[in-house]
Amino acid sequence: MTWLVWRQHRTQAYFAAAAIAAFAVLLLITGRQMASQYQAALTACAASHTCGNLANTLNLGSPVVSFLVTLTVAVPCLMGVFWGGPLVAREVETGTTQFAWMQSVPRSRWLAAKVGWALLAAAAWGGAVSALVTWWSSPVNALKQQNFQPSQFDIQGIVPIGYAVFAVALGITVGALLRRTLPAMAITVAVFTLLRLVVGQDFRSHYMTAVTKTFAFLHHLPLPAGSYWQVSGGVVGPGGHISSSTLAGSGAHLSIDGLPVNLVSLPAACRNLAFQSPQKFFPCLTAHGYHGFIAYQPADRYWAFQGVETGIFVLLAAALIAVTAIVILRRDA
Amino acid sequence: MMASRDPVAIQTRGLSKLYRRVTALSEVTVTVPEGRISALIGPNGAGKTTLLRVLSGLARPTSGEVAVLGGPPSQDPAFLASIGFLAQELPLYRRFTAEDHIGIGAHLNSRWDGPYVRQRLESLGIPLDQPVGTLSGGQRAQLALALTLAKRPRLLLLDEPVAALDPLARRQFVAHLAEAVADGGLTVVLSSHLVADLERTCDHVILLAASRVQLCGEIDTLLAAHQVLIGPSKDTTAIERDHTLVHAVRTPRQTTLLIRRNGPVADPAFEISDVGLEELVLGYMGQQAGPASAHLTMIGEGQ
Repeated sequence: MTWLVWRQHRTQAYFAAAAIAAFAVLLLITGRQMASQYQAALTACAASHTCGNLANTLNLGSPVVSFLVTLTVAVPCLMGVFWGGPLVAREVETGTTQFAWMQSVPRSRWLAAKVGWALLAAAAWGGAVSALVTWWSSPVNALKQQNFQPSQFDIQGIVPIGYAVFAVALGITVGALLRRTLPAMAITVAVFTLLRLVVGQDFRSHYMTAVTKTFAFLHHLPLPAGSYWQVSGGVVGPGGHISSSTLAGSGAHLSIDGLPVNLVSLPAACRNLAFQSPQKFFPCLTAHGYHGFIAYQPADRYWAFQGVETGIFVLLAAALIAVTAIVILRRDA
Repeated sequence: MMASRDPVAIQTRGLSKLYRRVTALSEVTVTVPEGRISALIGPNGAGKTTLLRVLSGLARPTSGEVAVLGGPPSQDPAFLASIGFLAQELPLYRRFTAEDHIGIGAHLNSRWDGPYVRQRLESLGIPLDQPVGTLSGGQRAQLALALTLAKRPRLLLLDEPVAALDPLARRQFVAHLAEAVADGGLTVVLSSHLVADLERTCDHVILLAASRVQLCGEIDTLLAAHQVLIGPSKDTTAIERDHTLVHAVRTPRQTTLLIRRNGPVADPAFEISDVGLEELVLGYMGQQAGPASAHLTMIGEGQ
């Protein structure tokens, strides 16, 4: 079976290998440049004692390459659409299952070989892209401390492997159910994108209970160390959280230490001071029992989160493959 | 009617297949002894493809029993190795060459005669190194047939195998099949809606119409059991009482009856003649189309 799978998909494999080789060359060259640029900037700022501000002053790498790197977020989806979607659907559509299934090999072995190699390829290619991006991003990660933020979290570490395996499994399953290639490809894009958004926005922040820090106004914001991920933040009043970035209601907003606050929810005595006399505004808030807070996931939870998210998508992929197996083995050819 | 002594290659009992609400096969009971070339005949949509797919194991029956080469169709490699099935669509990988297909067969079959396919294609002048998609319909059919035969199956199920072939190639292909059967150990069921293609070579017939079996048995036995009576337009009740009327065409001047004989026909007013396969088949198909007269007729082995 492996021979047939290879014969059928070797063109795709060559194409994907060429694409990844080109991408690797680009990232290896620009990544090395960026690493030396960062080292030079570190040496220079150490001499002038300005390293604290380096994240705001240093621009690492070219915007084009950075953009290309952020685009790798689409790689798993593309694999799901172009590898997963047609894998079973095209064979059913063109009738070649009737050829393959009438050789002296049980359907279960046919399916196992095809699905097994497809998922392995997804993991390998997803992992290769992610490894390159992760390595390339290391100076940026060190400088900006943003690799726990959704835009970076999704393209670095091991989660792209989970996404890729899931996307290909999704494509295979939808294809096996619909038995038509194009609708399978379209539905794969839609379902994959939707699920990634829902998991990223609604589930991920709850993998572990966020750490909350409170602070008095006009004191230096005690930022957590390293590349933490801020989940929410805002102002706490005597009656609890009155406003936060996730709870902001309608009405005029202002920003206190970078945290958005709904003005209407502040005590009336302080409200007018916000614009007339900022020096009295914050003491007024403090006097009324208000203080700021942020809720965040500490930097050292990064790999735990990567593991949980990868595990979720791999388990979903396993469930989908089980569905495919039932469909292929039970249904008429 | 002699009971056949050959072992049975195919035996179905009360086989039905429903697709959602559409009945594709209804109470199909057929027997095909080993070593036969059986013509599966019926109009389009009669259920021929469904029957072949159920026999090959590609489709599952909704109810009823199927025994193919002694057991139910399965995913067992030994069963798969003994069945050669060729679908009407000639499913081949369009971007692969004939040589690629020979390679696939060699990898996926324990018993595989690659040299046979090469030799057959060479003798037909079909290129081995061109993508299948660039071959003509007839060439694709020849390749698909050769690949099906290369498994050296014990039972060959062919769905409209000659549809894509020109008349000469049809004749040659059917002759080629007859040779393979003569070599021993092979049973063939091939479907067609054209009787003429099959009459010369087949020795067994299954007639399907509207998802039911109208006729199943050895062609010689069936032909001997039927007769055509041509006579004046008159009352035929006596004949219908003594024999089984299959089909009647009545005009004001003449009556033509197709009957299944029970003993000799006594009425001297009728001219009695033997029946050909095509006539027989059309008679039973016409009977099926008639009102309420449709009934299952089983003649041949086992009766």
